Amino acid sequence: MLSRNFRLQKVGNLNWLQKNYNFSQIAFSIDELVVLNVSRGEYDEEKFFEHVRLLNEECFIPIAAGGGIRTLNQARKLLRSGADKITVNTLIAEAPDIICQIAEEFGEQCVVASIDVKKVENTFTIWTENGFCRQKKNLEQWLDRVFKLPVGELYLNSIDQDGTGHGYMMELLDYIPPTVSIPVILAGGAGNHHHLSVGLNDPRIDAVATAHLFNFVGDGLEKARSKLFTEGFNLAKWDAQKAKDLKESVN
Amino acid sequence: MGEKNITIVDYGMGNVWSVFSALKFLGAKPKLVSDAEKISKSGILVLPGVGSFKKGMEALKSRGLDEALIDAVKTKGSRILGICLGMQLMGSVGTEGGETLGLGFFPNRIERFTPQELGENKAPHVGFNPVRFNERNGLFNELSLESDFYFTHSYRMLPEKIVGRYGTCFYGINFLAAFELDNICGTQFHPEKSQTNGLILLRNFLMA
Repeated sequence: MLSRNFRLQKVGNLNWLQKNYNFSQIAFSIDELVVLNVSRGEYDEEKFFEHVRLLNEECFIPIAAGGGIRTLNQARKLLRSGADKITVNTLIAEAPDIICQIAEEFGEQCVVASIDVKKVENTFTIWTENGFCRQKKNLEQWLDRVFKLPVGELYLNSIDQDGTGHGYMMELLDYIPPTVSIPVILAGGAGNHHHLSVGLNDPRIDAVATAHLFNFVGDGLEKARSKLFTEGFNLAKWDAQKAKDLKESVN
Repeated sequence: MGEKNITIVDYGMGNVWSVFSALKFLGAKPKLVSDAEKISKSGILVLPGVGSFKKGMEALKSRGLDEALIDAVKTKGSRILGICLGMQLMGSVGTEGGETLGLGFFPNRIERFTPQELGENKAPHVGFNPVRFNERNGLFNELSLESDFYFTHSYRMLPEKIVGRYGTCFYGINFLAAFELDNICGTQFHPEKSQTNGLILLRNFLMA
């Protein structure tokens, strides 16, 4: 398994996270972080870049960031702010050439294609612009388009399940052709460690993401991770407590 | 020892901000420097880097930093940690983007994972993977003999004729993941993106 990640997304601003949920502690229970800017209204990119910079101060894992990225220059700035990967969603519909430019400058491993899927009358439909704009193509057709682009990972999110805590929409995986070789991250719906376990047990998945609040209450995520270890999942290991002792240790 | 003044070599290639943040978290006082004269006088250097070997060497040369680094490391014995492309640039020859001479701090060549090596694995090699160390001292003090670190790369060095402390990672073939030879240290992985394991390694580098 290449990328064995939990991911967090859309829970508010960083100060709020830090104050209410001791985010820097939670960060030691994940392999990778996805930060999505889903602000409505006017897009303040500088503010978002600043948040990513601040995340780097307490969070020593790869960061995939995106939401509202429309130009190569924005991608460049986001990477300079400490992001390791750029997630693209609306760009897949509107400007695939920009995705090519990002991949050309920073490599395919730097681009994560994010797809928001919603079931409408038994069809898996595609939504862009933060879930506001429905695309004409269905999931199968959309994946076909995405796999022709120079992207290094696929982040597949179920709008229906997102935030429910009722488990992942595993059916989405049936649409991924067996020839696809890039890592697939499933998102939307995990509400407990069992859901994470079901996801990771499916050979078509390389990583599971979670943004559900259970992770941010007390040591929920830490416990979930340790249960996954007990179940025999081959996750990366480190000592989460040790990081505290390392802070300011070389003075 | 007093405050640790660390020079991060800023030559326009890579995630200097993440490296800066990790060193600051540990309590060091890192500075981003792109001035050749200052670099040649620095006692502790970090050479980060993301990008192609050829562009990396060109970026160093255009700022006169190749000679400054050789002067600091080989003549004055300054301590250096090369990370990812930074480690590769310290080798003899790189093949990414055409054959290019590196800084030559150690003789190993940097080549792409071959299709035979990769087998069904994909390139680039991305994600956390275990590194096996030959000892638990110096740069690898307090780390388990097998510890997980975060990688993202398509080119690798083989551990041929490597002496001193080192760690290897298996990705179709055992490649050189980290080493420490006197004042010269390198990691193919990103310690600044490898949770506690990375922080321990960076602390070890700073405390030597």
